[in-house]
Amino acid sequence: MNAYEPHVDVMRSHLGRVRGLGVGHSGAEHWWGERASSVVLLPLSTWFVVQMFRLGGASRADVIKWGGKPINATLLIALIITTFYHARLGLQVIVDDYVHGHAYLPMRLLIKLGTFLLGLLGVISVVKLVIAHDSTK
Amino acid sequence: MVELRLPHNSTIGVGKTVLAPEGAKNVRTFRIYRWSPDDDRNPVMDSYEVDVDVIGPMVLDAIIHIKNEIDSTLTFRRSCREGICGSCAMNIDGENTLACLKPIKSIEGDIKIYPLPHMPVVKDLVTNLDGAYAQLRSIQPWMKADTAPPPDKERLQSQKERSKLDGLWECILCFCCTTSCPSYWWNGDRYLGPSVLLAAYRWIADSRDEHTGERLDGLEDTFKLYACRTIMNCTQTCPKGLNPAKAIGHIKELQLARKL
Repeated sequence: MNAYEPHVDVMRSHLGRVRGLGVGHSGAEHWWGERASSVVLLPLSTWFVVQMFRLGGASRADVIKWGGKPINATLLIALIITTFYHARLGLQVIVDDYVHGHAYLPMRLLIKLGTFLLGLLGVISVVKLVIAHDSTK
Repeated sequence: MVELRLPHNSTIGVGKTVLAPEGAKNVRTFRIYRWSPDDDRNPVMDSYEVDVDVIGPMVLDAIIHIKNEIDSTLTFRRSCREGICGSCAMNIDGENTLACLKPIKSIEGDIKIYPLPHMPVVKDLVTNLDGAYAQLRSIQPWMKADTAPPPDKERLQSQKERSKLDGLWECILCFCCTTSCPSYWWNGDRYLGPSVLLAAYRWIADSRDEHTGERLDGLEDTFKLYACRTIMNCTQTCPKGLNPAKAIGHIKELQLARKL
């Protein structure tokens, strides 16, 4: 039942297999981007958490007043973009490690599309806050 | 996709037990992974009781004793028995190491011995390392220089330049680190592994080599280099006390230095 069978389905040399399709000419940006974005996220997330505690229970008008200010809107958008950029890079690592075979490519594309759309949703929501803020003046 | 269960033929059974000879005073039990391609059986763990008073101090001494005196079918690689050839790399007491450098006394309880993890087993403790050797070849581990060497002597290097190779040249390519690396288990077909990356950095760091940029180009890949997740098993397990994780970190720094 467990008879040993020599693997004859691959006869390509080991060196040929190792060289494979060659190098992808990328990786440094991913590696550096992961680290740089995590450092940027530290102050941004802290600021966001503090602001959320301050705004706890605030009325919609107060939130619009806060979020419509250019400085707050800028920091919010920076936080959203950095968060989803970082999520994209991090999720890619998880897929690289744990997903193999046919599911690999669809998962990679899904992560790129998913994080892009979620980030876009966040940015548009902030823009909506700013517009609401301006129209109440 | 994700395989949650090991294949059926990898389930390890219980093998035979060979008791110590009568009158043995200091008996230790060696539990050794056994698998042969010659029959249809699953791997088993054989137990050998050995009087460690009559053998040398290292695990390799015990294995050689078992092969010579108890069971000649036990198969393993060994050569120098002093930690310089890298042949007797195996998983002892849960850690990849060289059997010739691992004192029996440093292990408590039964001494469990397995082949290097995640490599195809040829027989018993012998694994097929062809893939890892090909990966080593792919990084071209030899001096590449276009400047002709001096006609009457070797290429010179300052003491400072030479000191950069310390901690790199000592690697004996036993692949204890590579086979201990989860990232290599997951992506061993694309990730070069700590041992080969340490070898690559040994040539990147060599002042006499003139192809540093090309070497870095050859590693500029999401998997070949960057599949290192700094898990650090490599550094923890290295029987020569080297630090492959640090060498990989240096390669990443250099990749960045030429981009920023």
